[in-house]
Amino acid sequence: MTSQTKGFRKINWSKVGSYAILILLAVLYVGPLFMLVNTSLKTMPSFMKDATSLTTSLNFENFSEAWTKANFPKYLLNSVLYTVAATTIYIITAVFVAFPIARKYIKFSGAVLTLFVIALFLPPALIPQFQLILNLGLYNNPIGYIMLFIVNPIGIVILVNYIKTVPKELDEAAALDGCGYFRFVWSIVLPLIRPAIATVVVMHSIGIWNEIIAPTIYLTNKDYYPITRGLIVFQGVYGSNWPTLAAAVLLLTLPMLVLFLVLQRYIVSGLTAGAVKG
Amino acid sequence: MSYHFGRGKSKWIPYLMLLPGLLFYFLIALGPSMATAVYSFTDATGIKGAPIRWIGLDNYREFLFMGRASVDNLAALQRTLIFCAAVTLIQFTMGLIVALLVNQKLRGTNIFRTLYFMPVILGVVIQGLMWSLFLYPLGGPAAKLLSLLGMRSEFLGGQPAEAFAWVIFIQIWANMGTTMMIFIAGLQTIPSEMYEAARIDGANSWQVFRNVTWPLLTPSVNTNLLLNIIGSLQAWQLFLVLVGYRNGTQVLGYLIYATGFGQTSGSVSSSFRQGYAAAASIILFLLVLVIGMSVQYILQRREARILG
Amino acid sequence: MSKKMFSFLSLLVAFAILLAACSSPAATGSQTEPAAAAGGDKVTLRVLVHQNPPMVAFMETFNQKFQEKHPNITVDMSVVNANDLSTVSQTRLSANDIDVLDIFGFANGAQPYMKMVDSPNWQQLIEAGLLMDLTGQDFLKNYDENAIKDAGSYNGKVYSINLGRVIYSGIYYNKQLFEENKIAVPTTWPELAAACETFKANNIPCMTAGGKDGWPIFVGAYGLIGAMYPDQAALVEGLWNGTIKWNDAKSLEMWTKMQVYARDMMEEGASGIAGDAAPGRFASGAVAMFPGGSWYAPAIEAAQPAFDWGYIPFPGSDTAADNQYWFGKYDQGWAIASNTPNKDASVLYLKEFSDPANYQAFVDAVGFIPTQPTAKLNTKIGADIAPFLGNFRVGYEQYWIAPKGAGQFANPWASYFKPFGTDDDPKVLADKVQADLQAGLDAVK
Repeated sequence: MTSQTKGFRKINWSKVGSYAILILLAVLYVGPLFMLVNTSLKTMPSFMKDATSLTTSLNFENFSEAWTKANFPKYLLNSVLYTVAATTIYIITAVFVAFPIARKYIKFSGAVLTLFVIALFLPPALIPQFQLILNLGLYNNPIGYIMLFIVNPIGIVILVNYIKTVPKELDEAAALDGCGYFRFVWSIVLPLIRPAIATVVVMHSIGIWNEIIAPTIYLTNKDYYPITRGLIVFQGVYGSNWPTLAAAVLLLTLPMLVLFLVLQRYIVSGLTAGAVKG
Repeated sequence: MSYHFGRGKSKWIPYLMLLPGLLFYFLIALGPSMATAVYSFTDATGIKGAPIRWIGLDNYREFLFMGRASVDNLAALQRTLIFCAAVTLIQFTMGLIVALLVNQKLRGTNIFRTLYFMPVILGVVIQGLMWSLFLYPLGGPAAKLLSLLGMRSEFLGGQPAEAFAWVIFIQIWANMGTTMMIFIAGLQTIPSEMYEAARIDGANSWQVFRNVTWPLLTPSVNTNLLLNIIGSLQAWQLFLVLVGYRNGTQVLGYLIYATGFGQTSGSVSSSFRQGYAAAASIILFLLVLVIGMSVQYILQRREARILG
Repeated sequence: MSKKMFSFLSLLVAFAILLAACSSPAATGSQTEPAAAAGGDKVTLRVLVHQNPPMVAFMETFNQKFQEKHPNITVDMSVVNANDLSTVSQTRLSANDIDVLDIFGFANGAQPYMKMVDSPNWQQLIEAGLLMDLTGQDFLKNYDENAIKDAGSYNGKVYSINLGRVIYSGIYYNKQLFEENKIAVPTTWPELAAACETFKANNIPCMTAGGKDGWPIFVGAYGLIGAMYPDQAALVEGLWNGTIKWNDAKSLEMWTKMQVYARDMMEEGASGIAGDAAPGRFASGAVAMFPGGSWYAPAIEAAQPAFDWGYIPFPGSDTAADNQYWFGKYDQGWAIASNTPNKDASVLYLKEFSDPANYQAFVDAVGFIPTQPTAKLNTKIGADIAPFLGNFRVGYEQYWIAPKGAGQFANPWASYFKPFGTDDDPKVLADKVQADLQAGLDAVK
């Protein structure tokens, strides 16, 4: 520590620099988003005339039209159901896969991890997967649809890497206290790996929430449609209704944005994980 | 010696609890993918009731060696590698820098974090829509900006090399948020005492990063490198929504999708060639596997050296 | 995450599984619907269509009327994107989960002179026995015999009724700009080229098109391919057996004109315009012409209802008489799944649809060129199309199957030229295209 005052001046300078970079970068993210919002407020004729001009009127009807035409009230519940169910099942099974691997509590843990890492490379298997679900009698069935989303090797890799940073002494202390395996993982490990869980939850649920092709193929009963399937009303083989579509996708995105904002706190609160360490 | 949970009968508990995840994985991911591998040696169409014939390596031969098409396929392969190298290098570096910046105790970092992660939430289709509007050459914001500087560009509709460069840029823009989040999660695990200790030892910012942050970030570095490499090797959806199937821009993933689902050009109806598409995806799989596993091997050795 | 949150989530899962389990019998029930032998039985007719908004809107009204007339039948229509239609048809046929399906006009059939080509997907479906034979059905009589034969038959049997044609090879032109600049509507290539020069001299961009998507440039230049090779089926055969080459003298003329079209006629910036946006760009009145398919007419009208435009065949030839053709394709049609348990209801559905009054209403809504001889295309574009409708030809790429091993340039696409592609020499490009094709022909010898 050369001098406290110099340190302070340095921090201020780096603060300015940090903000400059962050704001410059932010422009790149706000700009395209702004174009989307701008489009969602236009009328179709004014969009056709000039796609990128600033909207002259605030055409909020696009949002109400999107809400009713895409059947949001009905399909939203399905989307929530699929996303929550599949993500929960996935997270629970994934933690119990990742923990013993990270800790080498099972034989061949390296091989098992490799198996999951290989899954990252696996080629898409649309047709065999379809035949599997069909033969299980789970075609056009919410259970079959949820099943498609309970595997995600990326999450396992993230969890394994994260669990490795949790001090191992904890396990020993817990075992000495007579804490059972299940209870230990459930009530001690889980809270400690909150940041990783939050990250995986966000990544996994976004994938399910935004999925377009799977519901088209696996769910043909309208009662089971998720909300992405409803958006098709605004598309067309010879041109789409972009303003309403833009409004609809903004509505569609909202729940995931909220989820992210909520879980972001957990990711931040991972700071406390450092404090808990034995 | 590491402690094993449970003794006697209950030592099987970790295995038992691991089982569901493993079973799901075999059933839903590995099984169907292995079926794809089997398909790649047949002329399967995927249609129920259609005969399937075993044709050995014919699909592979066609993809790799037949006529001019194979030359185009290999060009796409080369393009895939370029795409991967560019995306991984830039996305990894930017993700790390941005994670370090937003992980400081600054006001408003939450807003920046959310903003940078937003494309991930929106998904590929919307990303494509946003950038098509932003890069619209007749009066779009980017075109106006360029015309202020006396320049013009067709952006995504420009020459293939230019369009390709834009897709690289947008791919990084879209996925930098994930890289950043994983780095942030990693940064959170570094106890603040470590930084304090380093500061007390008189380390400057760079030295703190070099000797504390970087080594302790190893797990996140591994995850990110692996995900970036695999993700960019397999990426193709942005090509679909941004430039379409254009000569001089195709990557392997897009090629497979287009042949498997017959979308190589506007309105032509084509045949179901699941066998051929399967062979092409196995080739991509092998490519990704070889690159990914070598990287994984190097990273794990490095991790063992650093973290012990 | 707290314990509380987890117990809440697990509760949700249990709830989800319960809900799914309880509703699943209904799902499997609808799949194995008992055959509706007697007319009075309750039937759910599962219909699949691709997303084309005016058509879907028409179908909803039609279904309503159909259900009122036949109270025992409920129509369950689902809509998928055109790109997903073939995949979803395939999966739903495999799952016996469909009765009536939308299928695009039969095209790209494997011909005897083609070697080692795969059958197109409609042929594969028929060969696997998944589509019902409609031969001899009453309602077939309502349709143009050629349409049934060209777009819905295979090996002498009828598997689909085709509902309409679309045209590629026309040019939309801005009537006001033509009048203001005292330019006559071109009927030959030199006239077209001269018109463009005049417009450009007056600072008006000549043509626009959705160059960013690539194919609109190719489709826009269809008139050029058509002017050189009016018999498009013979063109395909000639290319396969080597009597026509993409670098022979005739083709070279086509390439030379294509370069003029891509480089000089298209407005600056056209390569960045999306296919969706081109009609709006034209309707804004800034550009004199817009080469494109008949399907763009509704979009132009939607963008600018008061805008006055006309539609002419693309004058690709130097002789006016050779420029009086329309080139296009058959669009959607209906087929019935051969495994349907609701055969009677499905046939009834097509029969009602084919009723001339219903069909006319369909054409009015969708704007297709009708395949029923009694129906008329009453839209604005219909009047411009009518004079040459006798000269409708199915386009080259509806016959073309590239030989395996052919390179990616083996097509007559104007979009290979700068600024859309990388080429700027017709001769060099012609040789490259032929070489890419020849590589395939040699590979399958």
